[in-house]
Amino acid sequence: MNEAAASAVPVFAFLFPILMTPVIMFAGRRSGRLRNALALATTVVTFLAVISLYPRIIGGEVIQFTFFEILPELHISFRVDLLSFCLAALSAFIWVLCTIYSIDYMAREHAGSRYYPVLIFTLGACLGIFMAGDFFTLFIFFELMSLIAYILVIHEETPAALKAGYKYLIMTIIGGLALFFGIIITFELGGTVSLSGGPLVQETSLLAFLAFISFLIGFGMKAGIFPLHVWLPDAHPVAPSPASALLSGIMLKTGAYGLLRVIFHVFSVELVKSGGWDKIMGVIAVITILLGSAVALTQDDIKRRLAYSSIGQMGYILLGMSILNENTLIGDIFHIFTHAMIKSTLFLAAGAIIWKTGKRLISEMPGIGRQMPFTLGCFSLAALAMIGIPPLNGFLSKWTLGLGALEAGMPFYVLILLVSSLLNALYYLPIIVPAFFGGLESDHEHGFDIKEATPRMLVPVAILALGTLIFGLLPSNIPFDLSRLTASYLLRGGPF
Amino acid sequence: MFAGPEGVPVTRELLHGSSSLPVWIVLLPLLAGALLYLIGEKRESLRKAVALGASFLALVGVAWLMPAALAGTVEYRLADFMQLGLFFKVDLVGWIFAGLIALVWFLAVLFSLAYMDHEHNRRRYYSFLIFTLGATLGVVFAGDFFTLFLFFELMTFSSFVLVIHEQNRQAMEAGALYLYLGVAGGLALFFAILLLYSATGTVSIVPLLGQLGGQRTLIYILFLIGFGIKAGVVPLHIWLPQAHPVAPSPASALLSGIMIKAGAYGILRVTLILFTPAEHGAASLWSYQSLLGYILLWLGIVTMFSGALMALLQQNAKRILAYSSVSQIGYIVMGLGAAAYMGLEGGMGFAGSVYHIINHAFFKAGLFMIVGTVYMLTHELELPRLGGLARKMPFAAAAFLVAACGIAGIPGFNGYASKTLLHDALLEAYKHFGFFSLYLAERIFVVTSALTVCYFIKLFRGLFLGPVPEKLDRSYRLPLSVRAVLGAFSLLILGIGLFPNLVLEKVILPAAHLLGFEGYGMKHLAHFHFFELHPLEAMGVVLVLALVIYLPGALRGWFNWAPPRWLSIHALLYQPLTRLFMLAVCRGGSFLDLAVGKIYDNSSSAARLWCRYIGDIDTSLDRLYERSGQVARGLADRSNRVDQALDEAYAKTGRAARRLVDRTTDLDHALDEAYAKTGQAARRLVDRAGDFDHALDQSYETAGRIARGLAREGKRFDEVLDEAYTKAGEGARRLAGKGREWENEQSRLREAGSAPSRWNPSQWNIKNLNFDSLLLAAVLGVILFIIFYYGR
Repeated sequence: MNEAAASAVPVFAFLFPILMTPVIMFAGRRSGRLRNALALATTVVTFLAVISLYPRIIGGEVIQFTFFEILPELHISFRVDLLSFCLAALSAFIWVLCTIYSIDYMAREHAGSRYYPVLIFTLGACLGIFMAGDFFTLFIFFELMSLIAYILVIHEETPAALKAGYKYLIMTIIGGLALFFGIIITFELGGTVSLSGGPLVQETSLLAFLAFISFLIGFGMKAGIFPLHVWLPDAHPVAPSPASALLSGIMLKTGAYGLLRVIFHVFSVELVKSGGWDKIMGVIAVITILLGSAVALTQDDIKRRLAYSSIGQMGYILLGMSILNENTLIGDIFHIFTHAMIKSTLFLAAGAIIWKTGKRLISEMPGIGRQMPFTLGCFSLAALAMIGIPPLNGFLSKWTLGLGALEAGMPFYVLILLVSSLLNALYYLPIIVPAFFGGLESDHEHGFDIKEATPRMLVPVAILALGTLIFGLLPSNIPFDLSRLTASYLLRGGPF
Repeated sequence: MFAGPEGVPVTRELLHGSSSLPVWIVLLPLLAGALLYLIGEKRESLRKAVALGASFLALVGVAWLMPAALAGTVEYRLADFMQLGLFFKVDLVGWIFAGLIALVWFLAVLFSLAYMDHEHNRRRYYSFLIFTLGATLGVVFAGDFFTLFLFFELMTFSSFVLVIHEQNRQAMEAGALYLYLGVAGGLALFFAILLLYSATGTVSIVPLLGQLGGQRTLIYILFLIGFGIKAGVVPLHIWLPQAHPVAPSPASALLSGIMIKAGAYGILRVTLILFTPAEHGAASLWSYQSLLGYILLWLGIVTMFSGALMALLQQNAKRILAYSSVSQIGYIVMGLGAAAYMGLEGGMGFAGSVYHIINHAFFKAGLFMIVGTVYMLTHELELPRLGGLARKMPFAAAAFLVAACGIAGIPGFNGYASKTLLHDALLEAYKHFGFFSLYLAERIFVVTSALTVCYFIKLFRGLFLGPVPEKLDRSYRLPLSVRAVLGAFSLLILGIGLFPNLVLEKVILPAAHLLGFEGYGMKHLAHFHFFELHPLEAMGVVLVLALVIYLPGALRGWFNWAPPRWLSIHALLYQPLTRLFMLAVCRGGSFLDLAVGKIYDNSSSAARLWCRYIGDIDTSLDRLYERSGQVARGLADRSNRVDQALDEAYAKTGRAARRLVDRTTDLDHALDEAYAKTGQAARRLVDRAGDFDHALDQSYETAGRIARGLAREGKRFDEVLDEAYTKAGEGARRLAGKGREWENEQSRLREAGSAPSRWNPSQWNIKNLNFDSLLLAAVLGVILFIIFYYGR
């Protein structure tokens, strides 16, 4: 394993969008088309830059790059390993699609010249989180992303959006402070906060526990786990749909990513288990799963339903972290991929419906599948994947997670997964079934015409929806292979 | 090994061929289904051609596999698909099912051509009809449970579209029940397969009972739930009588004739293969399997009896057939249970079951299509509004009679053969173990068979006998394709009924050998005589019993009794359960969520309150400082004034002193002068002696005057000083007054200024997040740092 490989590509990858932000901002004053083109080009270039690391990462390299030292032992440094690469590639990919989608979606919205720079900047900050080489850098980018994303949340500037944004902001600041506290303790106990060494904390103590709780609060706030989830169902639905897709699909995952880093780099699996901290996570995960799924059932606003569903799905990921064997880790990381694709599809498809028909309430949607068969088709595919129907990728992550839970001797967790799947079915199928087969009273048999959104909105949805099938069924499943490699890398230091 | 009689191969060398043909047979209808959707709304004949062609090709493909299936197995592995790999394996048991599926499906598609012409949305119907064929074939071609599960779920979802085809309220409700129970069953299967895989490391369909460990009962129950929901085993059958009647008739035929068999197929695979010990298993494992078989047997008995009873009470033709399907599935499950109960000796039960699966597919699909024909021509399904159609459509009536005789088990029709085998299996089990419960089961079997005859008499009378309702009194013409399909079914039923040993020896016995059955039962099967006195006598008993039940029942109208709704299993079990579940989930979840939200809201207002307190302390401290500053300033001002006044006083004193000095100098001068004058005077005294006294007098007088003047001057100075002090005091007093006025004004101003609180965080956003907050955060951080630093 070549630990010392240095490369400036990761720095380029996160710095490029950040540097392009003012350019896009000024371009936006000249012409909207130039601005859109620049934003799209930025995401594509960033995506390609991240992808270009693939052969080196898959070959077992860990790319490191230290920028400069702020204080002794406090650096701004970058480090890309398998886990970083997985998330960075995933986010850059989804960002490209969401930017394409935004072009038509945002054409009707106000303040596009604020939206695009912020969107691109958030990409940079997100990549910064995933590629950070130590917790200090991670913290900086984490705060940057959280604060900048606020502008995405309040984009509509309606009272509801401002209220949700205020909630988001306060929670984010509290989470940031908790994170800061955790990092200080880690620094005190380990003498450094770098990710490249072994576990920073060697034994359990009150202080170590305090650090764990702080991290759990800090990252859990972002991941939307119970009881820190209250901002999520308010903030995600009020944002513009492509931004909701990113908030739910990617930005939640920064919390999961941070927790994984904490478990494997600050502590170690043995430490977490010997402290009994995995049980804390397990209990929280079970509550989160059931709560998210149950409350989703009662929501009528489609985006709120999706947001609550996200809470439940983040519970799956936390559940995997609480079991911590190889299969659950594979399931965890694969579920990060899965959920990002599925939830982005769902939010983008919901956005297309809202954009085209103005309907937000599920009770208004019967028959809409005959108007927008393509959009609803993609929505259905993604929803079935979320329920865990076999050839789709949601099944694979559920299977792997369930297998891991059984290996750990916890069939109870599998039962929770199943109940949650049943609830998923109970809140997704009543969207799909009436959309295609209901609402006959309102229009005649052929009295509807196809009213789809524009191709630039449909193509990203279709790509993501097909992804749920391709990355479930086909044998050369890159996300699954990456998940497998990453899990063994995290647990054993590498499959290489 | 078992040494069989002539005609049955003694030891069969199984050939394990590898061919991708099964995959293509499965894939072809799946792709054709997608193609049918793409063809579009308009091109009717192309659609029909593609649908018919696809189902025909599937039939040909399955037929092509027959020699290979008889000789052994055909396997094909799609490695790494779905990560675990998809595995296709066709053995004889699977092939029997596949042949049945392909044949009945082809006939159903043929029937649809005429039937669906009057229906809406044909594009969707054909597309999903053919797609479901692929999924169903996938279920029986699956070589492991993982693949089986995949196709099972596909089948559930695609057949859902067939169930709700009508899209009216009834269909949507039935469809929802079908879908949710299907999903729940799928999840049970998922759990079972997961447990199986985690216990044994494989999902293959091979005998694994020995390796399952302590979770085997759980696994079995989960499998039973998963497959039982699809098969319609009581009490999991509730979707079936609702979903089957609402679908278009060819789809009902497939749902009832074929798809519930997918559930039976799963139960067969699990019970007779997975849950059997590997070779030379321990006796305890055999007794465990026997126990499972016993439970399954009774499940079957309960299902067949309650299904038949419910069928008898229905008024809707398709509902009678649907409940009849529940009842017939009971026969099949009972046979499987008997087979498992007898262990290796259970060949009779197995053969009866598989035979009944074949027969039921033919007569039930045929019956649904006949009733479908009636519906197509009359648009009526309720028995009280039908009747006398035997004269109007004699062909349909004849076909119905054939199929009904089949299902009733009249000798010469196919049901007789399988029911005889099943009955013998029960009798064998009773002879072997001698339990009273088995005797009871056998009695219930006979009564159920009699009930079957009864409800078919009722159905036949309702449809075809009696007076023709006025509304229906016109002439009907059956389309050619319909005649062909109904004729084909009648021929199949009669053919099997007249030559029952053919099917038994050709396919069922080899299949039984494949599963390893041996012993007396197999010997008996190998030369089973259906048309002997004993089975015929049993059938006669059934018929007599049926008449005994039917005649008084029909006369007194027992069969028109509609059981109250609260008595249904739906109202007794499912509604309370689902209501409880939804209540717990929705109410519980929402309550928790709202509670947490409220806690946050309250905490934020508490924090705001707290912060306001801190802010208050802060402002009062501020005010304190300000006031003390003011006081100090006032004090300083005042002392300054005093200082000035003092200064002034001193200056005035100085001036006075100077004046005094001046005066003193004057005095000095005057003294000097006086002395000089005194000298002069003295000189003059010397000169003039006489004047001296007077002069002295005069000088003293002058001196005294001067001294008096001096004293007067001193007095005036004192007055001036006094005055200065007074003035200074006055100035200071005036100053103090002014200071007080200013202070008052200041405090008034402050009161006016403090009315709008500046602590209103809800107006915060990124636009006014100010330095204060940053400072507050920094201070918090520092405090935390200090706490932790000293907390070590």
